[in-house]
Amino acid sequence: MNLSLNWLREYVDIPKKIKAEELGQSLTMHTVEVEEIRSEAEKFKDIVVGKIIEVKKHPNADRLQIALVDIGEEKLSIVCGAPNIAPGQKIPVALVGAVLPNGLEIKKAEVRGEVSKGMLCAPDEIGLGDDHSGILILDKNAKVAKPLAEHFKMEDTIIEVDNKSLSNRPDLWGHIGMAREISAIHGLKFKDYSYDLEKDSCKSDCEKLNIKVEDHKDCPRYMAVSMKGIKIADSPKWIQERLLAVGMRPINNIVDITNYVMLETGQPMHAFDKNLVDKIIVRKAKKGEEMKTLDGENRKLEENTIVIADSAKPLAIAGVMGGEDSEISSETKEIIFESANFDFVSVRKTSNKLSLRTESSARFEKGLDPNLCEKGLARAIDLVKQIIPEAEVSSDLVDHKKFELNLGPIEIELDWFEQILGIAIPTKKIINTLNNLGFSTEEKEDKIKVAIPTWRATKDVSIKEDIAEEIARIYGYDNIPGSMPKLEMSAPIQNTELKLLRKIREALKGLAFAEVYNYSFVNEEQLKKMGIDSSDYIPLANPLSANQTLLRQKISTNLISNVVTNQARFDKFSIFEIGTVFLNHAGEINKDNRSEEKLPYQESRLGMLIAANKDKGIFREAKGAAEAMFRELNIDIAFCESSAQSNWSDKQAMADIYLSDGRGSSAGVLLGTISKLDPKIAKSMGIKKSVTVMEFFVNEILTTSNKQQDKLYKPAAKYPALLRDLAFVVNKKIAFSDILKMIYDHNDYIEEVELFDVYEGESIGADNKNLAFRVRYQADRTLTADEVDNIQKELLKKLSEQFEAQIRDY
Amino acid sequence: MIEKINNLKKEILDKLSEIKDSKALADLEVFYLGRKGEFTKILRDISNVVPEKRAAMGKAANQIKKEIQEKVNEFKMQFESKETQEGEEDITLPGVKFETGHLHPITQLQYEMEDLFTSMGFMTLSGPELESDYYNFEAINIPPYHPARDTQDTFYIDSKNKEGENDLVMRTHTSSVQVRAMQKHGAPLKAIVPGRVFRSEATDVRHEHTFYQVEGFVIDRDITFSHMKGILELVGKKLFGPETKIRMRPKYYPFVEPGSNGEYTCFLCHGKGCNLCKKTGWLEILGSGMIHPNVLRAGGIDPDEYQGYAFGFGLNRLAQLRYKTDDVRLFNSGDLKFIKQF
Ligand SMILES: [Zn+2]
Repeated sequence: MNLSLNWLREYVDIPKKIKAEELGQSLTMHTVEVEEIRSEAEKFKDIVVGKIIEVKKHPNADRLQIALVDIGEEKLSIVCGAPNIAPGQKIPVALVGAVLPNGLEIKKAEVRGEVSKGMLCAPDEIGLGDDHSGILILDKNAKVAKPLAEHFKMEDTIIEVDNKSLSNRPDLWGHIGMAREISAIHGLKFKDYSYDLEKDSCKSDCEKLNIKVEDHKDCPRYMAVSMKGIKIADSPKWIQERLLAVGMRPINNIVDITNYVMLETGQPMHAFDKNLVDKIIVRKAKKGEEMKTLDGENRKLEENTIVIADSAKPLAIAGVMGGEDSEISSETKEIIFESANFDFVSVRKTSNKLSLRTESSARFEKGLDPNLCEKGLARAIDLVKQIIPEAEVSSDLVDHKKFELNLGPIEIELDWFEQILGIAIPTKKIINTLNNLGFSTEEKEDKIKVAIPTWRATKDVSIKEDIAEEIARIYGYDNIPGSMPKLEMSAPIQNTELKLLRKIREALKGLAFAEVYNYSFVNEEQLKKMGIDSSDYIPLANPLSANQTLLRQKISTNLISNVVTNQARFDKFSIFEIGTVFLNHAGEINKDNRSEEKLPYQESRLGMLIAANKDKGIFREAKGAAEAMFRELNIDIAFCESSAQSNWSDKQAMADIYLSDGRGSSAGVLLGTISKLDPKIAKSMGIKKSVTVMEFFVNEILTTSNKQQDKLYKPAAKYPALLRDLAFVVNKKIAFSDILKMIYDHNDYIEEVELFDVYEGESIGADNKNLAFRVRYQADRTLTADEVDNIQKELLKKLSEQFEAQIRDY
Repeated sequence: MIEKINNLKKEILDKLSEIKDSKALADLEVFYLGRKGEFTKILRDISNVVPEKRAAMGKAANQIKKEIQEKVNEFKMQFESKETQEGEEDITLPGVKFETGHLHPITQLQYEMEDLFTSMGFMTLSGPELESDYYNFEAINIPPYHPARDTQDTFYIDSKNKEGENDLVMRTHTSSVQVRAMQKHGAPLKAIVPGRVFRSEATDVRHEHTFYQVEGFVIDRDITFSHMKGILELVGKKLFGPETKIRMRPKYYPFVEPGSNGEYTCFLCHGKGCNLCKKTGWLEILGSGMIHPNVLRAGGIDPDEYQGYAFGFGLNRLAQLRYKTDDVRLFNSGDLKFIKQF
């Protein structure tokens, strides 16, 4: 919202010594955030009045002309596209170096071969409305070379306030409210607008307006009055200047007055052409009703939309926008002013549904004070009388109302302020602050009774904490010193999951993995390419883009997409992500504390991915990384045949990852999965690398890790171990894990089995692989070589029987 | 058998005398003495000898092996000393490259914050990212159609409750965990909640729909606004250096009263004003306030007995400031050109 300093001065005595910057700063520190302060003159820097001396055709462009312009010291040649220029005219000239309000910087330029030193400006280009039909032609008496700001007598300063910071303060949506705030901050005199509706009322031949409010829940207050003797014309200059200064386009005197009143008091107003309205009913829209709003749009109305209607049709969408049918026009002779209050929830709903945000709806949504209707109406009548002396009130004042405000008082123990703020503020100061803000107070022993002013009572202030804020912010948060509480010492409960995740991250960092973050969203197309059925994915109701419509159910999907991002730049890379996935069934977390309903199931997952140009060894490398990471967690894992894998997995290279029983087999706890990305699917996704992906269930790792005992020291064996190497050729299809299991199961003295070589090659047959193991035999006594050799001989026999292993002799 | 061993010894010693460099020596060592070497094979054969002779033979064989090994070692030392004298290291050559991993910059900042608050006795909590309208809004004093909902563009889940409303959201702030934490742990309570949050805002260089926050709250008897300022001052000094000051000014958040934002002295210009701080000398970093009694009540805590404060930091903002990144979208890009810089 834009505030005009001149306008504010009408309602608060601001001494000259308080500069606009200081005012902006104090508003920011005590009330609302000021975004920008700009002087009107600054807006027109390097724009001067010029006089056109001659106009000639541009030699190389039919639509362009070249104007020779006198700006006092020199004559400039300027290329111009507007058709309405002629010699003798006074026009605004933006000189080279000027920056227009729309951000355009004027530079010396060549336009189709002709030098142009500046720009002639249309009204919209210098922020004077939105007319772009031609160059702004100035008054004949305008003085050449005069800065445009001086020509327009622009001396105002604009303070722009962030609207978001006003969302809880319906009373600050007009200059009067801001003036009150400034008076409280600086201890200046506030001059509220005083009015007497009785004095303004109709004296003779008063008409009775036919107005009905169907439900006061929708419309707590509806005030209206008619005025006759209206002559529609442009507003006087001072009104136009005020409106333009704060960025509103002047239209005609009556419409301008409604806007002026809104910007001044905060009360949105509406004016109907009385001759186009037979009566007024505030009601809910009927099924199928439509109307054309002032912006020219035809709007279908929903049944619960509140409308202002006459006997036949809706005239306006309550609190949002008026309609064309009852619009003020040059023919208008008599008007009805509406100054009403509408249910903020309903206005908000309607404005959301229609995607129609207006100055009016923005104010009503905040919960305006129903008592503000009076001030708005009084000010509107007042202004009409000033501008159109023949105009007079022609009807009785209509005032339908039904509302309740909680005006308190709130009773507060005086020492409570120190208990909540941590600083003792003198009672006198507390009372002064509250009184300056319009709260009346009554001190009673060690308590204070605070009555809430009507303009703060809708939603803003209702409890003692609200009062504490009023005191603290005017006192200045900056003046409250920081301190440390005296608390009992206690060790915080540890979050074991976060602790585990930190350990995992550190381990993976050590293994040269890089951590990425991906969005929690995926899309149907992406899933389809991977052969994933998306029908069970949770959809967003309002996605931002077609790429992000569903909630991810795997970390892997987006992790795989990261390969596309990085494959051109890196030959080989390892990445991981820890994040949440969302499944379409009820989980364990309560939705609220009123029902037994649960939120959709969500859990934390760890995804790991290795991508490389060469396929060879990637799968085993990924396994190795997982093993190493789990070693850090003191968890031994086993890779087992995959039970249910994704469509995008390479069927030759996929496995489930379990907690190991210590001998390479599953102990029954599924921790995650591993698989190579199917080359065909990779290709369809534009992936040019061989990719192996793993995904782990963080909950399962956590449960397993919590059960895991600390690492125990093992003393060195008392008796020497015997080592034997073992090498044989088997068919590729025989799983290493089966062989390993057999070796371990073969004899209790077999303490450790290490695979130290895998060889595949023509020399041993294309379907075969050669495996070389080192076996460690250990017992609680000295084993003899014979003994061990016999055990190993038996083992070899078993291997050849069961797996058709061909023993390779050393 | 012994003879065989002796022959082999001779053969090895002969070859040794002809060797010129350490590479050839190593090859020879592997060929004869290695795990699959010729000499090792013979030693293994000894196990097949009749037991009576085995012990003596083993002893002899091992003796010979030891001799050979000693000889080899002698040569090795000669070569080594010669070779290092001959070619000195070019110490300017780059080191052999070791690949290292990287933690995401937001993770690093989050850990820094967690460590700081844990050291002051705060618990670290988490909560669901897909949250109910109730905990994300209502429970923290943002009823339906509250204007504050305007300031938070919300992703809704495409599912309707019995009343036909979308009542599930992607949480818009970590404040959604406040009431859950109060219900679970009661008062007194000291906790932080780091996590991912969502706003349905179109993305560009400065806007992201997915970003990261750290929420904190302290609830106890006699907790004041001044205490909140004290701890936030301390956080500022930890984040931006010991000279850092805090400036607080009113800001409206429905879940706190009084509500405040927090700005720290710009670490770049030390408060003088520069481009980073838009000439103000201050960097807006956090939101905070005294927890609204309605929020305490929703969490089952009696506001007449307890009071508390809450604050929230944007981790993306902190990361942007610290690392001088120029595009907020990089954090969720999965782009290693970015990640590998940290
Ligand atoms: Zn700075």
